Amino acid sequence: MSDKVTLFHWEPNANSGKPMLALAEKGVPFESRYIDMLNFDQHKPEYLAINPQGTIPAMLHGDRVLTESTAIMEYVDAAFDGPALMPPDPRDRWRVRWWMKFMDQWLAPSFSMIGWSVFVGPAVRHRDPKELEAAIERIPLPERRTAWRKAIYNLFCEEEIAESQRRVGVGISMLEEALSRREWLASDQYSLADVNGFNLAYALPLSQPHLSNEETTPCIIDWLRRIYERPATKATWALGRTEMVKRVKIFEREVQP
Amino acid sequence: MTAALYHGEPNGPSLTVLAALFETGAEADLIALDLTQGERHCRAVVGREVEMSIEGEGPVLVVEGEAMADSVFLAQYLDESRGGGLQPADPHARWEMEMWCRFIIERVAPAAAFLGNRAHLTPKLRAMSDEAFEALVGRIASADLAERWRAVREGRYPEAQLEDSRAKIRLAVERLEKRIEGDWILGAFTIADLETYAWLAGMVDLVPEAFADAPITRAWLGRVAARDSVRQALALSPTGVPMKSWAPGPEINRWG
Ligand SMILES: N[C@@H](CCC(=O)N[C@@H](CS)C(=O)NCC(=O)O)C(=O)O
Repeated sequence: MSDKVTLFHWEPNANSGKPMLALAEKGVPFESRYIDMLNFDQHKPEYLAINPQGTIPAMLHGDRVLTESTAIMEYVDAAFDGPALMPPDPRDRWRVRWWMKFMDQWLAPSFSMIGWSVFVGPAVRHRDPKELEAAIERIPLPERRTAWRKAIYNLFCEEEIAESQRRVGVGISMLEEALSRREWLASDQYSLADVNGFNLAYALPLSQPHLSNEETTPCIIDWLRRIYERPATKATWALGRTEMVKRVKIFEREVQP
Repeated sequence: MTAALYHGEPNGPSLTVLAALFETGAEADLIALDLTQGERHCRAVVGREVEMSIEGEGPVLVVEGEAMADSVFLAQYLDESRGGGLQPADPHARWEMEMWCRFIIERVAPAAAFLGNRAHLTPKLRAMSDEAFEALVGRIASADLAERWRAVREGRYPEAQLEDSRAKIRLAVERLEKRIEGDWILGAFTIADLETYAWLAGMVDLVPEAFADAPITRAWLGRVAARDSVRQALALSPTGVPMKSWAPGPEINRWG
């Protein structure tokens, strides 16, 4: 079997950005296959042949298909040489896993719901209604179909957005607290929890400016800036094609006059 | 310093961790809690990760003062500290185990907890005085976990979620029928067997149709139940019917 790695991804952001950044940190070269999520590329037959769930990212390693961004990252860390992205101590590893689950299943869905209501929905809503309805019908996962329907027709109720906003607030204070205790999120070494966390939180100072800024969350800002300055992060964000990636520019340190 | 494991009845996440402890031979003081009375929130050592664990009312492992939660990760911790052989070494096989456990954690556990609490905890909480119940939820740090306790007490079980939960149990069994390879889910015995058994064992009575035509899964349930570690864990049950003991678990996913 060939050992070639191919990654199907959208912008370096959320779930797509996790394996992109993990591969870059490990120094694993990969063929990049850009899937334009707002053009529904992820529900086209060519892509469904790779991942029948119709979600991104997906990775090919030789003839094996891997899905689920966090599980792909753990695979990448274990299967390739390069710097270890999981700490050796079992308790530190527990903390890395705890944070990734907390982000993947509790915090990220809240960010995502808000993001889909203010960005994804408005970005596609103006298209031909018949085309949009057909696009929704092609979505394989019922949960994702519901999500797209809500975003396109703006069917979010006030309570669920308020609950997501509450969770974002709680999550930010938990991140700040954890980062005030340790150099990195889950252990004293840069790990998959930081890779995961950066993809979730890099736009925080722009999307939640009142909750996350130099005064209220200095540890978060410093952490994001340290991750942004890593060569792997720079290389990964250079792969983005839309305006979204420019948001990381806020982490440029001002040049002293 | 020895570790301490605060656990509930050997069902769900408490069963996974107790059995993993016995599988690996790790040592810990066992402290039994009545999770159905919210005792974790007043009798256990906790920290932020325990309070905010999205598993809900699971066990707590305290090591050198650090309180840890989430059953699969606790089982991995025990396995990795003891070299217990409960996880495949090959990265791809490991990915398969993680994918399977994630399916259980994300889709099956919320469904099982929904159905289990409806059958077994709602009647108990209804019988509680308002005062006692408010004292119980008042101690819960996570607002959404407290809200799940309220939903159980009030019996909020919308039909659509009930049907979806039963469908998730049927899906889990269908996948087991195809997946079980020889004796165990992934060929060798792993944490995936423990976690899956822990959430599904109590569903045999509650969603019998899911198991009616599933000889492979039923035989597998019997094999897991017969393992020394699982028998030892089940023997800790004060009531003798651990599969009927449920406390609020993970939430049914609200987005995506
Ligand atoms: N749990 C999966 C979720 C994948 C997922 O839902 N990805 C989103 C993008 S971040 C997606 O594919 N959305 C496209 C769609 O729903 O059509 C993972 O972490 O990989």
